[in-house]
Amino acid sequence: MAHMEDILRALLRRALSEQGGEARALTGITIESGRRRLEPRLCAEFSDGYRAWHSLRPSVCFAFCERHGVWDIAALRGLLLQETRRIHAQMLRELRAERETQRRPWFAALVRRLRNSFSRERRYGRHLPAMEAAFRRHFLEESSEAWERGLQLLEANLSPEQRQQYDASGYFDVTGGTSGKRYRIRQGSSMNIEQLDKKGRRVCTLCFMPAGRLVTGDVMLAQKVALEVFEREALKVANKFY
Amino acid sequence: MGVQIVMDRSGDTRHEFDTADVKAVALAEQRFRELTGKGFRAVALGKDGSPGKLMRDFDPTVEQSLFIPQLQGG
Repeated sequence: MAHMEDILRALLRRALSEQGGEARALTGITIESGRRRLEPRLCAEFSDGYRAWHSLRPSVCFAFCERHGVWDIAALRGLLLQETRRIHAQMLRELRAERETQRRPWFAALVRRLRNSFSRERRYGRHLPAMEAAFRRHFLEESSEAWERGLQLLEANLSPEQRQQYDASGYFDVTGGTSGKRYRIRQGSSMNIEQLDKKGRRVCTLCFMPAGRLVTGDVMLAQKVALEVFEREALKVANKFY
Repeated sequence: MGVQIVMDRSGDTRHEFDTADVKAVALAEQRFRELTGKGFRAVALGKDGSPGKLMRDFDPTVEQSLFIPQLQGG
């Protein structure tokens, strides 16, 4: 696992290090079979057509499959994509934090690009293009100060466990106040809530948000509070995607 | 001191009031009624991110109350 993560990090580091790399959203990951002299390769594909490759030893792949109990290509690709997205989100957060400390004038522009990347990254197969367009139109134009305030309010109201999880993975789990069910709130403003089963697997995706074109931090906090405090009402208005 | 945090496009707007000041409390109560009348949900925030409590009526003893606009499906 650690070795596979190293490979994924190397791939993403390469993609992020180039100009405009932060705005690039990961769209897919494929394993290319080796041809005679060449080793098999892992290929990461991005929204702007950029691709990055890294050689992949069969033993590393086997160890990864064994660890996760995945033995078919489709499931392996899905798992790799999920893992790569997690690492990508984490690296983007690290990059953002690093640049924030430097307090450079172009920080606001970087935040905008990161948000763009996050929003694309959370895209699902059923995600409607119109929804994304609406999201961009309404949210990406918000001021960076508002965005920061929203994020500060969110972080101030996360429990220590949630905050730790959010920092490490870009999402946090909440427990439904009425049902006791687990939900995972990911970075984003729409299609960003997953209902989980007892084993932590996704049951469905929920989509609800407060009215009024709020900033991302506010939306995520409203979703957390709603699920914890008035879960039934939230579920009544939420659209569910299985 | 009490604070009412209203979510809006600027992130949030905070209204602080002195719980010992009758006028300020009345103003806070009026704001509570206006916002809940518009469909906002008022929640008394818990400590350290613990789950809060839904406020059906104004309670001047609540330190931090959060006003969330009406929810809608996405």
